[in-house]
Amino acid sequence: MTKSSPKIGVYGFTGCAGDQLMILNCEDQLVDLFGATEIRSFVMAKSDNHEGELDVALIEGSISTEEQLKRIKDIRERSKVLVAIGTCACHGGPQAMKLGEDKYDEMYKKVYGNAKITISKSFEAQPVDAFVKVDLYVPGCPIDKAQFLSVVSKVVAGRHPYLMNQPVCLECKWRENPCILYGGKFCAGPLTRGGCGAVCPTQNLPCVGCWGPTDDLNISAEYELLKEKGYDPDQIIKKVKKFGGAAVAKLVKDLESKKEAKK
Amino acid sequence: MRELNVEALARVEGDGGITVTLDGKKVKSVTLDVHEGPRLIEQLVRGMTPEDDLTVIPRICAICTLSHRYSAIRGLEKALGVSAPEKALVTRELMMLGENVESNSLHTFLLALPDFLGYPSAIAMLNDYADDVKRALRLKKFGNHVMAITSGRIVHGENPIIGGFGKYPSRKALEEIKLKSHELIPDAVRDVELFASLKYPTFPEAEMVFMSVNAPKKKFGFAGDSILISNGKEANVEDYKKLTSERVVSHSFAKRSLYQDKPFTVGANARLINMGKRLDGQAGDLFKEHYSDGWLKNPLYNNLAQAIEMLWSLEQMPEVVDKIMGMEDPPNEKPTRTTGSGTGAVEAPRGTLYHHYDIKDGLIDGADIITPTAQNLDDIERHMRLTAERLLAEDKKDEEIRLGLEMVARAYDPCISCATHLVTLKRI
Repeated sequence: MTKSSPKIGVYGFTGCAGDQLMILNCEDQLVDLFGATEIRSFVMAKSDNHEGELDVALIEGSISTEEQLKRIKDIRERSKVLVAIGTCACHGGPQAMKLGEDKYDEMYKKVYGNAKITISKSFEAQPVDAFVKVDLYVPGCPIDKAQFLSVVSKVVAGRHPYLMNQPVCLECKWRENPCILYGGKFCAGPLTRGGCGAVCPTQNLPCVGCWGPTDDLNISAEYELLKEKGYDPDQIIKKVKKFGGAAVAKLVKDLESKKEAKK
Repeated sequence: MRELNVEALARVEGDGGITVTLDGKKVKSVTLDVHEGPRLIEQLVRGMTPEDDLTVIPRICAICTLSHRYSAIRGLEKALGVSAPEKALVTRELMMLGENVESNSLHTFLLALPDFLGYPSAIAMLNDYADDVKRALRLKKFGNHVMAITSGRIVHGENPIIGGFGKYPSRKALEEIKLKSHELIPDAVRDVELFASLKYPTFPEAEMVFMSVNAPKKKFGFAGDSILISNGKEANVEDYKKLTSERVVSHSFAKRSLYQDKPFTVGANARLINMGKRLDGQAGDLFKEHYSDGWLKNPLYNNLAQAIEMLWSLEQMPEVVDKIMGMEDPPNEKPTRTTGSGTGAVEAPRGTLYHHYDIKDGLIDGADIITPTAQNLDDIERHMRLTAERLLAEDKKDEEIRLGLEMVARAYDPCISCATHLVTLKRI
């Protein structure tokens, strides 16, 4: 390890640890990755972790406790580049599907009852950028190995990585799959960012929307189009909210205000 | 009064720590702290269709993603009156074998072994144990490959569904699995030998109770409709509430489990203790050779149990693949009712995982998920306490006590993300 090796930290917050696991799943590159960089902190993978200045912080998971909030702010302060990896860090993930519906306290009570518990305060999960600046978003549930490795190698070299920002439909066409929507089943493909290789439609299954929406999604046009084709609008919103969390909540709000404006 | 803290328990999946409060020579309390934020998954899935539930619940845990999916499928199929075709059942068997190889190789080598050999990580072991680490990575990669072929993706594959599969694996992919699993058997045998050669410290020893599913047809396996208890009793999975009696404790958000008011253990050691006699092949021989009374009281043997189980999983694959290839792709079975209840149970790599569902008019009306780590928590703390007491009595240094506690906690292969009910334990 040379002095100039880029310093990297990998951190997990509220989620399934699947994106950190995907890093460990890069079996063929893992040894090189640990050799070419200085992994300062990666609690899931090693015991000798040192906090301090970082060139790149890779953040998995959403933020849902006061303690996590303190921690993410600390990581931001000492990191040159902060990368959100995975749908939970980028959009909040499944635990953020009811953002904007004001249901957290009610659900929380149903799980824990009225038991007196003295812990650090928790709140409805939100994406990382609800609290600190995020420099790069690498979505996916989980992230894609190839995309992750290309991003890391570009970022440590100070270059800007390419990230797919087209919907799943594009990859589905590349694979010459028959369109599931035309088969009469709701598929979140047109509303969802590609990069997974259209894995579900390739198995005759509708896209579940797990990568969250594309950056420039024109949800009102898609929404009208799907409605025209006879799909239930409530079902559309419900399905894309499962993974789209904060991003979809914002899009839905825009959609509603547009509807209001029309009236 | 002083505190011995392991702020962030490294090399486990999820965010946790250990706090031990010492009062002179006495251990006042031992807690496995869980800093993981709450997700309230069981509440979030209410009102969803069973299909949508099935896309959300695997996200509880990335390592056990297929166990969550399969346990839910078993519960949902019972509730909806679906009996999946034989080819689906056997393909599900294969995906569970894949997950077992992936998770057991990850845990034994990358997470647990560095403790025994005195390294901070498997990567740090590379200079001295390059062959062993690379062998583990080969096995893990293959486990992942089997998961990807059966479920569609390495992590969170959506292919296994209620009533069958979106698409069955191709003949070519299955042939490859058959060939490769056979090739890797010597690697897995060497792993068993390595883990059998380790010294298992006796500090956590205590009487234990073990629980696992009872795989059907007197075979070893990872799914079943009844639960075996090491005291000789057996119960239906529908009685899961009695078996696990989840409760809220005042000092944490963690819901805890007790069986007959006592902590119990689930995991590979529990499976081998309850069903080890059913193991065949080299795994069966090596189990007989290396099984000892120590297994019944020392959770550290879970590491050896996982190594033996991983070998068994590999040995099963060619036969299971042949069975799958011998069947035509059947159409997926459809639900026969829209209202009903059902409980599913499978053996996730780290222990029994229950998914119970109540469905009303085609939508989830109630969901109850009990994860292996939630069941193990009381037992982990019990053995950590014994470890702390014994090492303290031997005047061990804080560093040694800390390592002992971490080894015990890690031996259970805890998956803290999995324990959806866990949040944080307050330090005294």
